[in-house]
Amino acid sequence: MKLNRWLFGTIIGTQFAFASFAADDVDIQTLKKQIQELDQKVRILEREREIDQDSAATVAKTAPKVSLGASGFNFSSADSNFVAQLHGLVQFDSRSFFSDGGVNGNDGFLLRRARPIFSGTVFRDFDYQFTPDFGGSTVQIQDAYLNYRYSPWFQVQAGKFKSPVGLEHLQSDPVTLFNERSLVSALVPNRDLGLQIKGDISGGVASYAVGIFNGGTDYNGTTVNSSFQDGKSVAGRVFFQPWKNSDLNGLRGLGFGVGASYLANHPATNSSTGLTPGYATDGQQKFFSYNSGVNANGIGWRVSPQAYYYYGPLGLLAEYVVSDQRVSSATKSAELQNSAWQISGGWVLTGEDASYSGVTPRRPFDLRNGQWGAWQLVARYAALNLDDKAFANGFASSTKSANSANAWSVGLNWYLNKNLRANLSYSHTDFTSYAGSKIAAGNVGAQSENVLFSRLQLAF
Amino acid sequence: MKTLLKILFTALIAISANAKEIKLLNVSYDPTRELYTEYNAAFTKHWKAKTGDNVVISQSHGGSGKQAQSVVNGLEADVVTLALAYDIDAIATQARTLPADWQKRLPNNSAPYASTIVFLVRKGNPKQIKDWDDIVKKGVSVVTPNPKTSGGARWTYLAAYAYALDKNTKNDAAAREFIKKLYKNVPVLDSGARGSTVTFAQRGIGDVLLAWENEAHLVLKEFGADKFEIVTPSLSILAEPPVSIVDKTVKRHGTTEVAKAYLDYLYSEEGQDIAGKNFYRPRSEKAAAKYAGNFASLKLVTIDGEFGGWAKAQKTHFADGGTFDQIFQP
Repeated sequence: MKLNRWLFGTIIGTQFAFASFAADDVDIQTLKKQIQELDQKVRILEREREIDQDSAATVAKTAPKVSLGASGFNFSSADSNFVAQLHGLVQFDSRSFFSDGGVNGNDGFLLRRARPIFSGTVFRDFDYQFTPDFGGSTVQIQDAYLNYRYSPWFQVQAGKFKSPVGLEHLQSDPVTLFNERSLVSALVPNRDLGLQIKGDISGGVASYAVGIFNGGTDYNGTTVNSSFQDGKSVAGRVFFQPWKNSDLNGLRGLGFGVGASYLANHPATNSSTGLTPGYATDGQQKFFSYNSGVNANGIGWRVSPQAYYYYGPLGLLAEYVVSDQRVSSATKSAELQNSAWQISGGWVLTGEDASYSGVTPRRPFDLRNGQWGAWQLVARYAALNLDDKAFANGFASSTKSANSANAWSVGLNWYLNKNLRANLSYSHTDFTSYAGSKIAAGNVGAQSENVLFSRLQLAF
Repeated sequence: MKTLLKILFTALIAISANAKEIKLLNVSYDPTRELYTEYNAAFTKHWKAKTGDNVVISQSHGGSGKQAQSVVNGLEADVVTLALAYDIDAIATQARTLPADWQKRLPNNSAPYASTIVFLVRKGNPKQIKDWDDIVKKGVSVVTPNPKTSGGARWTYLAAYAYALDKNTKNDAAAREFIKKLYKNVPVLDSGARGSTVTFAQRGIGDVLLAWENEAHLVLKEFGADKFEIVTPSLSILAEPPVSIVDKTVKRHGTTEVAKAYLDYLYSEEGQDIAGKNFYRPRSEKAAAKYAGNFASLKLVTIDGEFGGWAKAQKTHFADGGTFDQIFQP
């Protein structure tokens, strides 16, 4: 009986166990299937995320780029083939003249330059720039040009832009050492309309520019947007920096070259005189001007050997210009050869590197953190000599215009940051009159010019 | 002797100075990377031997539709080698950088090789997928790219559609229902064929990849025949990936001659052999015979015969609001 009970119990128990195992197997299969399904779902979600990330990366690659910084506003297509930039330059100056012999109206504040600068690129190789200037008393178009970049060594530029002659003149306005360029820039052409080819060879070891232009007069602060004569001028410049890319630190910042222009013929019958409206001092006062009825008449040429040297905080810039022009009045004709030279230098007291393209402060001004930006001491000497024949032939009045001007200047520049700059400088100019003459009182050249400049500048 | 040496030296200088370096950009579709890597090397060698000039050929790959749009948007392709004629037509009509009759300029409708759509399944074919009917069954996960962006996906869609029409005595509604079921089984839509291959072969998603024949063979070669197997359906479509120079671009680049030669050479014995070796169906009898073993026999319908050409097929099925938009719900 006991055996039967045991057998019965065993059989019943086994049945339950088998049933239980079978149920477990089904559960395991179900679970396996669920795991597989979940695994697929997870893989799909991961892959979808991967695809979304790829798509986002692709979109990012093709999305236009917009940036705003110390270099202004920059809008660019994803491939950088189309770029639009907005820059600006505002210079707020003061000039205070001392012992000026009663010359009126020259002291005061002025908005020297106020320029929105629109520049950019279309179709990768075509650059453009448009720069109106609302500073001074008239609105001018300073730059309006297109530039085709085939390569760094071959570019074609057309429109209105700086003539490729003077070294100091070609330096960008926001980075010149002093508020005003020196006497030497009085003898080179300003911005002109024309077409030039230009380029940098071997990464700037050599650079060249040569073009045909309307033929600007000696430096004229007011530029025009059309031609005043049929004759055209050829202007060009070569500049070398042989050690620019070398390891010779002491020579890397040495550059030298020569600029020149040639105007084959300026007819005396033009409505414009073809001559400078006047040579001006550092304080922008005219100390020489031609008499009315005097015209450029024939060949004109300029040559300007030039050099700079930058080494650490030291910067030096030197330039000589000869400007030769045949002129005539109703009764006389002569070839006048005026010349000028200048040497200027700066030392960055705070140790930053000086360069032709300016100074970038290592520690931008931040009063809270005791940072004061960069400070630079600057000095300059310049001279301009007019041809005696200008007075001897009566082309200029020896009682109103000076025969030469010699100017020295010292100053202190404060670069608060890459965009803000403040200048304070003093300039003294002595004049000499034509032999045997004396400049009459009330004229700029009758006494030395002493002027204190200041400037607040925003450039981006 | 010295004079002779001088002449030789001068001649060498002249020859080396005359050797040009020419750059070509081939904008292609997704799975042709390997084909054109090999072909470019062969053509470069051929061109150097023929002219002395060096050709540097860059390749760009992606979904065929996307690639065509990139060219329309300004990608400076010297030649396009895309998945289907419609995409090159789009360049012709939208960018106007090549003539409308571009397809008549080279033999075989400018398609130097052909291909078709097959199935790639995991080893052992666990879901027992034999034909198109099997991939629309519930529970079968199908991997194929997005027909909106991928040329291969459009061929695939049309192959499936053609099968459904064939099976349902040209009943369009039944074919649409078939396609609807198929895309219901697609969990991920990649933008191109290579992306789908990654999804299926590398990420382990899905039971079947609807693939270009060459892509399926490439997966076997790359991942091993012990992991996947190719299933040839009873019916598929004759895919003819066409090629063309982009006339205005080559004219601007000064590469017309070399670009034409680049495409002509695809029809040469060497070009055809490279196509066959990369599992594209060659056009030349010699290469076709040599690689016949790689390609299964199956009934192949044509885009013109079954769908009235690409323009019509595109408008009906893939244009915005077309059949695909109607049946596919992500």
